[in-house]
Amino acid sequence: MIKKSVICFFVLICFSAIKANELNSNDQIRYQSLIQEVRCLVCQNQSVAESNAELAKDLRREIKLQIQDGKSNSEIKKYLLDRYGEFILYEPAFTQKTLFLWFSPIILLLMFYGWFRKIGN
Amino acid sequence: MIRRLLPLFIFLLLLGFLFQSLYNKDTELPSPLIGKPIPAFNLKNLITEEEHSSHEIIGEVSLINVWATWCVGCEMEHEFLVDLSQDKRIDLPIIGLNWKDDDRLAKLWLKQLGDPYSIVLKDPKGKAAIDFGVYGAPETFLVDSSGIIHFKHIGPLNREIFERDILPLIGELN
Repeated sequence: MIKKSVICFFVLICFSAIKANELNSNDQIRYQSLIQEVRCLVCQNQSVAESNAELAKDLRREIKLQIQDGKSNSEIKKYLLDRYGEFILYEPAFTQKTLFLWFSPIILLLMFYGWFRKIGN
Repeated sequence: MIRRLLPLFIFLLLLGFLFQSLYNKDTELPSPLIGKPIPAFNLKNLITEEEHSSHEIIGEVSLINVWATWCVGCEMEHEFLVDLSQDKRIDLPIIGLNWKDDDRLAKLWLKQLGDPYSIVLKDPKGKAAIDFGVYGAPETFLVDSSGIIHFKHIGPLNREIFERDILPLIGELN
């Protein structure tokens, strides 16, 4: 059983190496990090990289094609944002709408700091 | 006194937020495409295999309905779409976008369940669907005569939703 799974593992590695050849190594790194930033909209909190859903596959293919076309990361993200909205990216853009979201940890931290100091006194 | 009650107040506030999100059915995402023109595409007609561009299909207030035979929700809404297409009082062409489907099954489906569409374009690779921001069929878009998207419904359409959300908009657009 273990032997089988080891063989299986190496076979898979070989295949993934073949697939990776489609992009050059730099682009491959970009591709891998990009697809982890894109949310699979039909799954329960999985990125497009992790999901096997059809839509995730399509989005991976689209991202790969755009990398091959020489598009930059921000161009690809804009493409997705224009179609699917803010929700598709895990990291929300820094806009007026998300200002509170971005600063809330700092606000909370300051609040707790003040509170603890008061207790200490 | 107020100072001692402050943590309790914060706690209750937090509880309020948590309860709200517990009952918040916020699963329908707003589409950034509302108010924008439909994406450009060139797609083949399911029946005639003729290629059509996005410009060719606009010109009237119409619905664009994303469907597939593998989609359960599409089966649920299909009867309503057929009724709608036969409704003499409502002049609303329905453009079908057959998403990642098998041609043979799609044609069979239309033959057996009725064909509500003025035209069915096929998107076998799902590229046009991505441009439409589709993430699950069925999805239905209301488009005006110049191709601007005014409304998007995610999930099976029925008479109730149609009369509540779409019909008033059609009145405004015509």
